[in-house]
Parts: sequence; structure tokens; C-alpha cells
Amino acid sequence: MMMHCNHPYHLVEKSPWPLTSSLSAMFMTTGLAMWFSVQNSSLLVVGLVSMMFSATQWWRDISREGSLQGLHTFKVTTGLRWGMVLFIVSEVLFFFSFFWAFFHSSLNSTMEIGAQWPPTDTTPFNPFQIPMLNTAILLASGVTVTWAHHAIMENLFSQSCLALLFTVILGVYFSALQGLEYYEASFSIADSVYGSTFFVATGFHGLHVIIGTTFLMMSLVRLLMAHFASNHHMGLEAAIWYWHFVDVVWLFLYTSIYWWGS
Amino acid sequence: NITFNKQIMASLTARTVLRTSVRCLHSSNRCAEKALPTSATHATGLERRELDAIAAGNDNPFDMRIIKRLSGATREKPTEIPSAFEKRIMGCVCEEGSTHINWMWLDRGVSKRCECGHWFNLIKSTPVSEM
Repeated sequence: MMMHCNHPYHLVEKSPWPLTSSLSAMFMTTGLAMWFSVQNSSLLVVGLVSMMFSATQWWRDISREGSLQGLHTFKVTTGLRWGMVLFIVSEVLFFFSFFWAFFHSSLNSTMEIGAQWPPTDTTPFNPFQIPMLNTAILLASGVTVTWAHHAIMENLFSQSCLALLFTVILGVYFSALQGLEYYEASFSIADSVYGSTFFVATGFHGLHVIIGTTFLMMSLVRLLMAHFASNHHMGLEAAIWYWHFVDVVWLFLYTSIYWWGS
Repeated sequence: NITFNKQIMASLTARTVLRTSVRCLHSSNRCAEKALPTSATHATGLERRELDAIAAGNDNPFDMRIIKRLSGATREKPTEIPSAFEKRIMGCVCEEGSTHINWMWLDRGVSKRCECGHWFNLIKSTPVSEM
């Protein structure tokens, strides 16, 4: 590649993915409104499919630029680090708002729900059954993902693959159990502010678990495809940070909504 | 109690799956020989050249570091600014702590004087892509 400048920064080549992903975001949001109002989900489905496509193509390009073209110099990885950290901070703020909503409604329960929390005739989940298992699963996945990271840094390929695989399995297990819980729930999102706060907070958390699991799974694929070096594996580090964030959010969810909130 | 049994089944399944996978992966020798490279051997392209330059002792391969002016730089003995190209923008901070930067283009081979009296010229340095 001919260099026109002598600097370590990565000036990316022209790409259609920012446009396709922003169009997909528009289709998804409009489609969601259409689904809610006139019960037609086609635009939403189109938006979701095109978003998945745009995201995979964009991230595939980034993997290629970094691992295969060698464009990720030290300055570039520093920038990526900052980017991921700031993104996770924005996600923390996102969840902060749902916790605010929960505490707003639960600390000073209105007459309409019986001036108590949980509201009258609401059966919460027993925090010492599946939710406790879910907590153990996520904590264990935090251990396995740290194991994977140390294995990579210490040049232990098979152990790193194994540990990362275990993390992904635990992530899938969490999602499956949470899905079962949702199915078995005695209340729905429409059941007073309890249902709203519960399902919006845990629902978004579940979505983040799925995203985090996918990110870790893709990192495992890249590890098996020899994209990573023992001292340069920014994609995996970003996935690990995200996973720890997901874990911490669950701990807050568990202690406040599942435990205190019962 | 149905929920309680499901919980036991769930944890038992998990433990069995984990133990079986550990057994399977331990007995397979395919991955055992593979080792992870360091970026010294794994890197390519610009990243590789940056690493090679640093390994060779050049910790400023892109000429990005702030350069301290020679005290009393004159036309005969200007402060030398490295660049891989024929011209480069440079900013002179005339006094320590000054909030104004005097930006100027420097051309190779032509000495230039900043208004504060210091002289600069551009000298050739190897770009990282050719190191």
C-alpha cells in the first residue's frame, strides 16, 4: 500500500457500511413504531436483517484492516481502547436510567399499587432459585474469560480457546435460563410499574448478554483463525471489558430488583 | 415442587456439559502444539514497520515528538526538523507557556525564520513505510 503520509493514524478507505447501518437503524426504529401501531413488522424485519448484515461487514473490514493489513499501529489501538471505554461508559449511563426508574417507583410506592413493593398480588421471582444460578453463571464466566485472557498473554493457545469456549457456553446458558424464566413468569411487562421496570431493565440486560456472547464468540473464531498475537488482541480485550460490564450490571440487577425488590 | 426440580436439572446439565467438554478437549492433541505468536512475528504492514523501527532503537519513527529548539538557532545553524516529504507544517511556541503557536510551512533545503528570531529547516528522514 502506497503511503502518502508518514503517520501512525488510520485514515480509513471509503466504505458503504456507515450508510447502510444508519439506514438500517432508521428502518428498525420506524419499523418498530409500525409494528406497535399497525401490527406490521415487515419494515422492522428488513431493518434488523440489514443491520446484522451491515454490522458483520463493517466489523469484518475492521478485523481485516487490523489483523491482515497491519494498519492498527499503537496509536490506533489506543484510540480503539478509548472508544470502547467511552462506549461502555455510555452504556452504564443507559442502565443508570432504568435503575433510577426502578428506585423511583419502588422506594415510595403509590397507592395504586398498594403502597408496597412488590405491588399487591405480584409474585416476584425467588431470588435464591434460578436468578441465583444466573449470578453464579455470570461470575463463573468472568473467571473463565480472565483465564482465557491470561492464557493468551502467556502463549497458551489451547487453553485460551478452551476458556473462551467455556465463557461463550456460560453466556448461552445464562440467556437460555433467563428465557425460561421469562416464559414462566407470573407477571408480564404490562403488569403495573413492577412489570415495566422488571422487564425493561432485565430485558435490555439480556440483550446485552446476547451481544456480549456474540462478541466473545466472534473473538473465539478470530483466535482460531490466528488473528491474534499474544500481545496484540484488542478485539478480544474489548469483548472482555464488555463482558465484565454485563456481569456488573447483572449484579446490580440481582441485588436491587431480584433481591431487595422482593 | 416443579420449579425446584428444574433448577437441579439445569445445574446438573451444566456441570455434565462442562466436564465432558474438558475431557474431550484434553484428550485431543490438535491444539496442543499450536503456540500464539507475539506481534514481533505476527504483525504485518504499517504496524510491523512501526514495531521494527522501535526494536531497532528508533522510538520516534513517525517524527511526531515535540522538538526542543536549539537555543540561539541562527540562519547558519537552524533547528532541524525531520520530515519524510518535501514540505511539512511546523508550529513554533515562541515563549514558554505561550498560548499562541506560530504555524508555518517548512520546505526542504530552505531555512525559515520565525518572527521570534529562531531559524528552522527541514531535513530528510526515512518514512516508516520505507524503513
